[in-house]
Amino acid sequence: MSVRYIPVQWNRFKWGYDAALLASVGVFLWAFLRVTPEDLGHERDVSGAIRNARAFGACAFVMLTGILCIGPLARLDTRFLPLLYNRRHFGVVTAAVALTHFSFVLDWYFAFSPAGKYEALLFANTSFTNGVAGFPFEAFGIFALLSLLILAATSHDFWMKFLTPPVWKGLHYLIYPAYAAVVAHVAWGALLDQENTTFAWVVHVGALLVVGLHLGAALSGRDAAKPRTAGWVDAGDPATIPEGRARIVTLASGDRVAVFRHEGALSAISNACAHQNGPLGEGRIIDCLVTCPWHGFQYDVRTGRSPAPFTEKVPTYALRLEGGRLLVSPDADPPGTPQRPVPVHRGRTT
Amino acid sequence: MSTAAAILDLARAWLWIGAAVAALFLSIGIGRIDPDARGAFVFRVLLVPGLLLIWPLVLWRWWRLEKGDRWLPRYRPPSAHASAAAAMSALIMAALVLSYGARQDWPDNIAPRRITEAGS
Repeated sequence: MSVRYIPVQWNRFKWGYDAALLASVGVFLWAFLRVTPEDLGHERDVSGAIRNARAFGACAFVMLTGILCIGPLARLDTRFLPLLYNRRHFGVVTAAVALTHFSFVLDWYFAFSPAGKYEALLFANTSFTNGVAGFPFEAFGIFALLSLLILAATSHDFWMKFLTPPVWKGLHYLIYPAYAAVVAHVAWGALLDQENTTFAWVVHVGALLVVGLHLGAALSGRDAAKPRTAGWVDAGDPATIPEGRARIVTLASGDRVAVFRHEGALSAISNACAHQNGPLGEGRIIDCLVTCPWHGFQYDVRTGRSPAPFTEKVPTYALRLEGGRLLVSPDADPPGTPQRPVPVHRGRTT
Repeated sequence: MSTAAAILDLARAWLWIGAAVAALFLSIGIGRIDPDARGAFVFRVLLVPGLLLIWPLVLWRWWRLEKGDRWLPRYRPPSAHASAAAAMSALIMAALVLSYGARQDWPDNIAPRRITEAGS
């Protein structure tokens, strides 16, 4: 949380995350180049540039697969949330690794054309209509690389505020076609003539893991069905909401509300954090403040306001108890509007 | 001029315009439209790559905010993850299945196919 933009909001966890990330990249590249060359199909005499291109390309694929797995894993099991916490740095490093792969490929396969390497990349193979075999799979790689660069370049908090969440989120949905393009780039390129099966297994297992996890997470999210009417929404028995935790309720509008229990009373705020739209209802109350599980942004549950000097605000919702059931107002009050907490054991009231 | 050369010229022009937009926006615009950016200068360097790549979007938002558009609420996220993930999954499966059909060494007894005519 910051009242003025800074380049990177470092903390101990992020230092550790980034150190582990960079160490993993180093170990992967070292193992690819030095430890298992015969297992990975470059036992034949190939140039250093080709080996390096393969190493960085394989590393970028594995990293991108990891990034795509983190989101659904965190939705399916909250123990994976720490991986989500610094995913943007993961993405930026992945873009850098992919760019290195591109540089090695460009400086070897396309460097000897009289027209220049960038032009050679574009005209060396233009058989777009002759089927998969011989298709210029480089086009998929170029699209994926451009997408990764755009995502990395717009990952600072400024961009979400400036572009607005719908535009920013829409832009960052590029990760999905980018990953599909990476799979096509590899499957229609390196895998077509590769006799060694190790990398083929890595690609298939990785791609199918991403597909399976996303479909699994989408199916698990169907439980939060929208109510059919636009009136007050039944949030169930208030006594079953644990102290310091929340129940997430979906309104007819599709908006999600997090109903928290704090010191025996209930309050409701928007489920979407004002920072990166993290799921506030999956967080908990720490030091009397709702704490977002993604990046630790905090809000007073009674007002939806971040503690001073921070200025983030989220909408709040009125609550009422009726017949022992908790009801949530379908209308959001403006961000930062104070609400009177409803005691859990107040009994029948409106 | 070949198509490839034309694409590269277009890309160069795009980046040069992006550089001009970046210079203007980071020196004049950002402080006018975002109070959180006033007095914060180091982070602006990190915005340069984004400005080079998506400068039309930047110009559009800058213009809207100069006209007095309010900041959109950041608490109402779009929720198209499921649809986007389903489309991605379909594309991945299509890419993999099509690649099986094009492999020259699978299944083992498949006859090799010439991609282009000899001498072409």
